[in-house]
Order: sequence, then C-alpha cells, then structure tokens
Amino acid sequence: MTALDTRPRTAESAGEVVTEFFTRYRAHDVNAMTDLCAINAAFSYVPVELWGKQRVLRGDGTVGTIGKPLWTGLINSFPNLTNTVRTITANDEGDVVVEADIAGTQQLAWGLIAPAGKDYSEPHLFVFHVGADLLIDSITAYWNDAGISQQLGHNEVD
Amino acid sequence: MTSSPALTAAPTQTVQAFLDALARRDVEAAIAVVDPQASVTVHPLGVAGTGAGLLRNVLDDLVRAFPDLLISVGRVITTGDVVTALFKVEGTQGTDYAGAMNQEKHLDIDQAWRFVVTDGAITQVTAYWCQQQLYRRLAVKRFDEIAIA
Repeated sequence: MTALDTRPRTAESAGEVVTEFFTRYRAHDVNAMTDLCAINAAFSYVPVELWGKQRVLRGDGTVGTIGKPLWTGLINSFPNLTNTVRTITANDEGDVVVEADIAGTQQLAWGLIAPAGKDYSEPHLFVFHVGADLLIDSITAYWNDAGISQQLGHNEVD
Repeated sequence: MTSSPALTAAPTQTVQAFLDALARRDVEAAIAVVDPQASVTVHPLGVAGTGAGLLRNVLDDLVRAFPDLLISVGRVITTGDVVTALFKVEGTQGTDYAGAMNQEKHLDIDQAWRFVVTDGAITQVTAYWCQQQLYRRLAVKRFDEIAIA
C-alpha cells in the first residue's frame, strides 16, 4: 500500500488504508503513517486542550503540523506505545470509524504529567475520511483524558 | 421492544430519532428506539452493562443536571449497521452531575456516540467524550476531590 495506490475507493479499500495506518502506528513509524495521509490532511484530537492564561491551545490543525509532532511526542514519552483495534467499519464514501485501545508505559513527561513509570490503556474512537486517491484526508479522535491522567497517577484536572 | 415506527427504519433514521428526542430532552422517546437488552458503554462515566435502563439513567442524569441542555449534531456517519454521531453537548449546570457539585457553570463538550442498529432498534451504544474537559468546565480541580470546589 503506497501513496500511489490506484485501486478504486470502496469501503473495503478505505478500511484497509486505515488498518495499515494503525499497523504503522504500532511500529512507531510516524513518517510511514503520514505517508498514508494527504499533504493537508485535517487533524483533530478533540480532548487535547492546554489552558494558558490568555489562550487555549487545541489539538486541531493538520496531520503535518499537529498530528505528526503529537504522535512523535507520545511515542517518545511512551516508548512501548501500542494500539489494539477493536472495531473498524467503513462505507464507500471513504468514512472509516475505528474503536481502538491506545496503551503504553510512561517514561518521559507528557503534557503536565510527570513520568512515574505507570501504564495506561484507554479506549479511543477515531473517525477517518479516506479520499478518492486512497489517502487519509481527515482524522478526528475522541477519548477520555481523565482516564489516562488518573492511570498515570495525575489527579489534577489542569 | 414494543411496536414502533422505528422498528422498520434504516439505521440512520433510528439514530436520528434518538438524537432528535435527546435534543428535545425527551428521554422516554429516545429510549423507545433502544432495544431493552442493548449493550451500553459510556466510557467517561465508567458505565458498562446491558439494558436500556442503564442508558436511561445516563440520559436522565444529563437532562436533570443541565435543564437548558442543547444538543448540536455535527455529523452522522453510517457504516453499515453502525451509525456514529458527532455532536456537541451544551448547558448550564443546575444540579450535581457525575459527582461534581453545582456551581452553575456552562458546559460545552464534543462527544462521539457509536450505535449499532439491528432491525430498527439500537442494540449497542458506546459513548466517548473527555471527562477531563467536562470537569474543567464545571470547575472541578482534582479527580480525587471531585465534589470539592
């Protein structure tokens, strides 16, 4: 599966692209993950928000500007980061919905959470859109960050 | 499940009926399209089990706690028998909710609910949102002291 995939987009082929995305995520190959995405693919990790005194930074942008640095940082902080895909459904319009558990052991600081060597595993729901060229052009994810914080021993809401 | 027009509806229509009812804060109408033995998982609340009653409790708590509840549906995505709804929940807290005491704070939370529809009834519901965002908006400071402002 490459960026030059010439198969027609169907539910099956769109689902295969996203399955490959999670395979590459398990391999910690962020460049290969982004190779499956369109150059300006939209990105939104809904729970990500850092409240400053004057503004809120959110996990919204593109795969290149927000997604890639975020995945890289996550893998650095959780060197054994992995994912388990629980369900994956797709349609011929390129929508792919995935339930996956993301898990890892913290070795470095992640956001405001100091490393304590603790494990986490949290259910996520991802909504992908795969374009007619079989490149992912949108990624949105939902999960409960409170679950991750508490599993890592961080009890402040922040 | 009693007879209902939703029994013959397409998955999208069934879920739309659920969402429309929730938007009207009509919990009974929402539950009317849910199979009595539905599998219910609401990750942020730690709810997991079987039965429409479980979901009724979740919705009742929400509607009661936020009397001006506003549901704004962004997308409804149908992938076979699975329907995923992305919507925003807004409201002003009127009573305690999820352990958080009422400080009359405003809530706005983006949520994703994944439904499985079988023969016109919702047989599985899995809800995702960030409880940390929710507590932040309700002015909760610590997870281990949720009820203390």
